Amino acid sequence: MDFESPDVMKDFPGLYASDLHKARCNDTDYSDSAEKVTKKDILIGKRKEKKDKKDKERGYAALEGESSAEESYEVRSPSKSKKSKSFKFPTKSKEKREKSREKEKEATDKKKDKDKKTERKIEKEKEKGKVDKKERKLKYEEWSDIADVLPIFGVSLKLAVERGRCHDGIDLPVPVRACIDYVEKCGLIFEGVYKVSAPKSKVTHLKKLYNQRENVDLSEYDVPTATSLLKLFLRDLAEPVFTAELLIRFEEAGAILNVAMREKHLKILVGNLPQYNRLLLSWIIVHLYNVTLNEKYNKMNAQSIALCLSSTLQTSHRLLTALLCHCPALFPNTILEPYVCPLTSSAQLPDDPELMERELLKQESLLAQIHAEMNIGFISKQREELLWEVQRIITQLKRKLKIANKDKEVVVEKPLEEKPIEEVLDNKIEDASACAVVQSDIEVTEPIAEDFEENKNFEMGDPAVDISANEANTSDTSSITSFDKNSVKETEKLEVDAQDTSLEAENLFLDKTLAILQCKNILLNDLKQSLFKQIEKEKAEILILKEQLPSKPLNSVPVYTDANCASLDEIMYLLHKENQILQIKKINLVRQIMEQQEACIDLQSNLDALLKNKSAA
Amino acid sequence: MSKKPATQPALHKVIMVGSGGVGKSALTLQFMYDEFVEDYEPTKADSYRKKILLDGEEVQIDILDTAGQEDYAAIRDNYFRSGEGFLCIFSITEDESFQATQDFREQILRVKNDENIPFLLVGNKCDLEDKRKVSYQEASDRAKQWGVTYVETSAKTREHVDKVNSIVCRWYC
Repeated sequence: MDFESPDVMKDFPGLYASDLHKARCNDTDYSDSAEKVTKKDILIGKRKEKKDKKDKERGYAALEGESSAEESYEVRSPSKSKKSKSFKFPTKSKEKREKSREKEKEATDKKKDKDKKTERKIEKEKEKGKVDKKERKLKYEEWSDIADVLPIFGVSLKLAVERGRCHDGIDLPVPVRACIDYVEKCGLIFEGVYKVSAPKSKVTHLKKLYNQRENVDLSEYDVPTATSLLKLFLRDLAEPVFTAELLIRFEEAGAILNVAMREKHLKILVGNLPQYNRLLLSWIIVHLYNVTLNEKYNKMNAQSIALCLSSTLQTSHRLLTALLCHCPALFPNTILEPYVCPLTSSAQLPDDPELMERELLKQESLLAQIHAEMNIGFISKQREELLWEVQRIITQLKRKLKIANKDKEVVVEKPLEEKPIEEVLDNKIEDASACAVVQSDIEVTEPIAEDFEENKNFEMGDPAVDISANEANTSDTSSITSFDKNSVKETEKLEVDAQDTSLEAENLFLDKTLAILQCKNILLNDLKQSLFKQIEKEKAEILILKEQLPSKPLNSVPVYTDANCASLDEIMYLLHKENQILQIKKINLVRQIMEQQEACIDLQSNLDALLKNKSAA
Repeated sequence: MSKKPATQPALHKVIMVGSGGVGKSALTLQFMYDEFVEDYEPTKADSYRKKILLDGEEVQIDILDTAGQEDYAAIRDNYFRSGEGFLCIFSITEDESFQATQDFREQILRVKNDENIPFLLVGNKCDLEDKRKVSYQEASDRAKQWGVTYVETSAKTREHVDKVNSIVCRWYC
């Protein structure tokens, strides 16, 4: 097992020189690990620093970032009721100052206009001296629109999700979702997708539109614009997708040479990410993986994609390549579902109750967001119009749903009276028992699959069988539910009959696959055993080696002269390189052996199953 | 967001307020669809749009049916701000709901900051005369004090519903 990563050693010579550092994964020695972090940070951080500077130059939108939401809470409430006054003197936003202004006004009313002006000027100048960040922010919030106060770009991911919510329950910021949707739809075969970038003006314009919560239709733009916008969003994030905390550990995991270990570690780390980060990462990686699957057309393979996006994601090229390579294993359940915005009042409302239900959820999510934004203090005529409109759509949908549900009840009730209940029951029992058979079959196959998965030392051989079994299960249960609902309708009944026959065929098929799987299970278990033994052996070896290592006293690292040091470093470097090459060769060989072994097992299990069948016949 | 063309008819926003269970939704549904719903289901917020032809001119009225329960008070202000007319409903069979109208009036004035905002005090459930707890005099005194009109209605029998309707229309014509 290879915990040490020569790559890292190469990049940071001397970083892990001491043997104690072998335990770095555990991070038990706090000061040590902290030191390491800083060292690494220096290297990784360079990029960040640059970025931060850029952010600052960009101005308030980026500067206010995270804090603006909370601050606007305090700020807005007093000014809300003083709308008319703040309209007259928009620069004065604090209550206190308004009061003083009033007094001043009373006083100055008696004086001449000139006096008034000079006095104001003096006051303004005084203020200018005092103006701190907060006051500037206040002014901004009074003057500018939501784009400046509550931007979606350039804030933490959490805020971006909350501000630019997708209303279908998938918590990604709208611009990310829109870009991925669009590229998935139109950009997968675009040559040099993610490599070709769009004019900056176009992208910043789009960013502005999103920050202003305008409805953007990316299909009016092109693929490079969408990809550049997505990159911009990711680059602007206040924290890398991998989070500052886990980034280093991700990098370490990405540098592990052993493929299976790397996958395992990456999987754990992905699991440790905050919910929103995990979702965003899964979508991006799955999407980029889809891009690489179309390499034939877009000329972008994992390497080139990683090259184009590693700096955007604030990671190394290596980590991104590793993630893309392990994508199917890391994010098996991520489906890039295209986003459909909540309907507007001009659109026709759906008639299907299920669609209505879904639309209702979306509209309610949208409504909640509008309310939340209003409560923070973002109030405009447009928003108010939208609030009423969304509310109206919700009311209409609810009403429609109510009527639809009533109609349904009537439809269901009627045929129940026509048909004898016993027949219905009979049908149900028949079907339920059929289902039970299928399920018991699956129960047998599933633990086997789990067993395989636990044994992650090699890739799983035949998940297709498992999936087909599951599909059979789900399709069957769905047929039962539909059967329950409308069990008395003649057409439905016919359908169920048809499904029964297909079920028998499926059962036969399942029997066969079950036999194969059982044989395979035995063989794989044997393999597992032998692998475990090997692991134990290697662990023992590691222990022995470890015991030998600390015997060399730490302090006795001789102080070399410069020349010595240089030559030693050189030798070290060469040795590392050689070691690295050998490691890769070894891994490739091991992989090949595993693949061969798997193929053997496949063939063997098929053969065994056939023999069994023959003998049974 | 969606910009409305200028040619659209005048649009006015009317808001129904009052404590829970006084019949705001029932009255609203009478306005909109001439129907009476017996079963009670607390409203969170519902919005309707009705087109009315008055003196050859088309007027659109948005009616917002709000929640009586305090749970939803947080979102109520967002609507109050854009409201241009208010119907304050209470049940003549429940004194508490009548007392609550005072709070609603204050809340509205606080948000709108306009004493002359179109406002109507409505005593609902006047079909339940035998269960009356709030006298006509008491309610109309309060209306007079506020400088608004008082109407007693029944969403069930549709009594005086059209009267309320025409009063609302008169606000905007």
